[in-house]
Amino acid sequence: MLYIEQLKVAVGDTLILDGVNLEIQEGEVHVLLGPNGAGKTTLLMAIMGMPGYRIVGGRIFFQGKDITNLDVEERARMGIGMAFQKVPTISGITLRTLGRLVLEKRGLTDALEETASRVNCLYLLDREVGKGFSGGEMKRAELFQLLLQRPLFSMVDEPESGVDLDSIALVGQALRELFERDQVRTKKRSGLIITHTGYILEYLNADRGHVLMNGRIVCSGNPRDLFADIRERGYQECARCER
Amino acid sequence: MCEVRAMKVQEEYLRDLRERAEKALTKKAPLGPDIDLSQFYLCSPRERVEDVREIEDQLKEAALYAGVELEGEKAATYLQVDRSAVYERVQRAFQGKLEIMSSQEALQKYPELFEYWWGLVPVDADKYTAFAELCPTEGYFIRVFAHTKVEIPLQACLLMSERARVQSVHNIVILEEGAEANLITGCASVRGNESGVHIGVSEFYLGDNARLTFTMVHNWGEAFHVRPRTAARLGKNAFFSSTYVLLKPLASIQAFPQVFLEGEGAQATFQNIVFAKGNSYIDLGSTLLLKNRGCRGSSISRVCATDEAQVFARGRLIAYHDEVQAHLECKGMLFSPRAQIVSVPELEVHGAPRARLSHEAAVGPFEEEAVNYLRARGLKREEALSLLTQGFLNLDLPGLPEALRRYIEEIIRVTSRDVL
Repeated sequence: MLYIEQLKVAVGDTLILDGVNLEIQEGEVHVLLGPNGAGKTTLLMAIMGMPGYRIVGGRIFFQGKDITNLDVEERARMGIGMAFQKVPTISGITLRTLGRLVLEKRGLTDALEETASRVNCLYLLDREVGKGFSGGEMKRAELFQLLLQRPLFSMVDEPESGVDLDSIALVGQALRELFERDQVRTKKRSGLIITHTGYILEYLNADRGHVLMNGRIVCSGNPRDLFADIRERGYQECARCER
Repeated sequence: MCEVRAMKVQEEYLRDLRERAEKALTKKAPLGPDIDLSQFYLCSPRERVEDVREIEDQLKEAALYAGVELEGEKAATYLQVDRSAVYERVQRAFQGKLEIMSSQEALQKYPELFEYWWGLVPVDADKYTAFAELCPTEGYFIRVFAHTKVEIPLQACLLMSERARVQSVHNIVILEEGAEANLITGCASVRGNESGVHIGVSEFYLGDNARLTFTMVHNWGEAFHVRPRTAARLGKNAFFSSTYVLLKPLASIQAFPQVFLEGEGAQATFQNIVFAKGNSYIDLGSTLLLKNRGCRGSSISRVCATDEAQVFARGRLIAYHDEVQAHLECKGMLFSPRAQIVSVPELEVHGAPRARLSHEAAVGPFEEEAVNYLRARGLKREEALSLLTQGFLNLDLPGLPEALRRYIEEIIRVTSRDVL
């Protein structure tokens, strides 16, 4: 579904990603690990096509099509979506209004409140997007929008950060729904999740993990094994490891 | 005072007004481009109609674009076209509780009304006020009787159908003690009429504990000049909320209404919602004079400017008492390098060192981060900008009834979609 080849991305004059290779098949969910500043969010932003993340080398393919030079909204319309870590405040626009617009893009009108209820966002619907949301509310509001958007390929930037332990189960359930992990036969949706703590793996059985360091993927494998190794030996060992 | 003496006083007052107006007929306004009124004929009289169904469709359409539904269910309606009041109606349920008629008719019916005539706006303020006195073309008179609460909005609509004419109306609104009302006023030119001058003098008198939410929508042709001259006087614990909406281009508008908060605990709020397009020259503001204990006020502007539009967003707070509080806020958004927004806040304290006055202003472009966030949800750039504009102009308007709030939001939503 997603194929990335020798991707180099700069922000301003600084090269952040320096030759990333990654392939995610249909129905697979991968997790992305790495120390702070490794370039994890930059990779997600570059796949989404966010302006400011300049692709200076390599290519990105989505469903066999080269999307390296496509605009962000074109990628969104093709089926790529993202739950952001940092959400801007959209003054005067409620989560309900934005949610309705997102639904309208799919030709739907009536799933809004029921979806909001599943991610405990009903009480947020009439608040301005991003304004005064707590960490957990922000995450749930982002997942709510992704659930309305139903992308074929979803990226989630640190779903567990700022979320209390009670809410992690809710976030986990939303991710399972997003990736249709409970529907074995029709499992077609894919994704890439950044996680620092690995808590989310308790709720979502990811297929593969990758460690990003210094702008490159230095290690890939079973996500639980990777996490166990990192917990034990730290990221520096990943750089030396030849697995 | 005996009747003969009263008439004499009235005659003297009106003669004095006339003399002052004649002297001020060439007096330029301190703000806004000067208009040569001699280039415009006075608008013509129109026939009255007795039934709303007799009103021409193009007038109904013009009224609708200025927020007035002539066939809608309103407590009272006043429609003026060009020089004449053509239709007035008070819903049966409110008969005897409020009055609506042309101000000229009211002056004849109630001679004592002359005490309110130019009671707040000086007749010789500038050439436009002088013109309104010397060449009057009606205007509306509304009175809501004491302790009458009218939840359904009242509406007044002032239309201009003839090209290159001047309409100079004088409106008087009186809410007696404890009265409450919501008034929508729409001022517009009929489709195809692109040039003219509209002078609107409006004087609001709110008695003790009276509450008025006043919403004004303007929708003029692109070569129109508009000069509202407005003032309000508030009694004890009176509340006045004024919302002005201008979302279509015009040649120029200049208005700087004044509110005299005279009674204890009086409150006034001004909200200006402006989308300036084309070559529009827009100079809008409000002055709040806080004169008594517990008076509070706010003046808020949301301005979007594009093309080559020029906008001055003014606000002036004047405190005369220690125990008053007021806030100015201006937020501007620029869409074009040739558009201009100038925020002019003024705070004055006269012998009241404990008064609390504040202001904040911010003018700049859209946050690209927000635009891109919305694009990542699948919105086109134009759709994202439209949504952000809509959100930016959507004010949380205090005291505004839900129906009016929805109405203003709808105008902003449609305009934001259309203009970008």
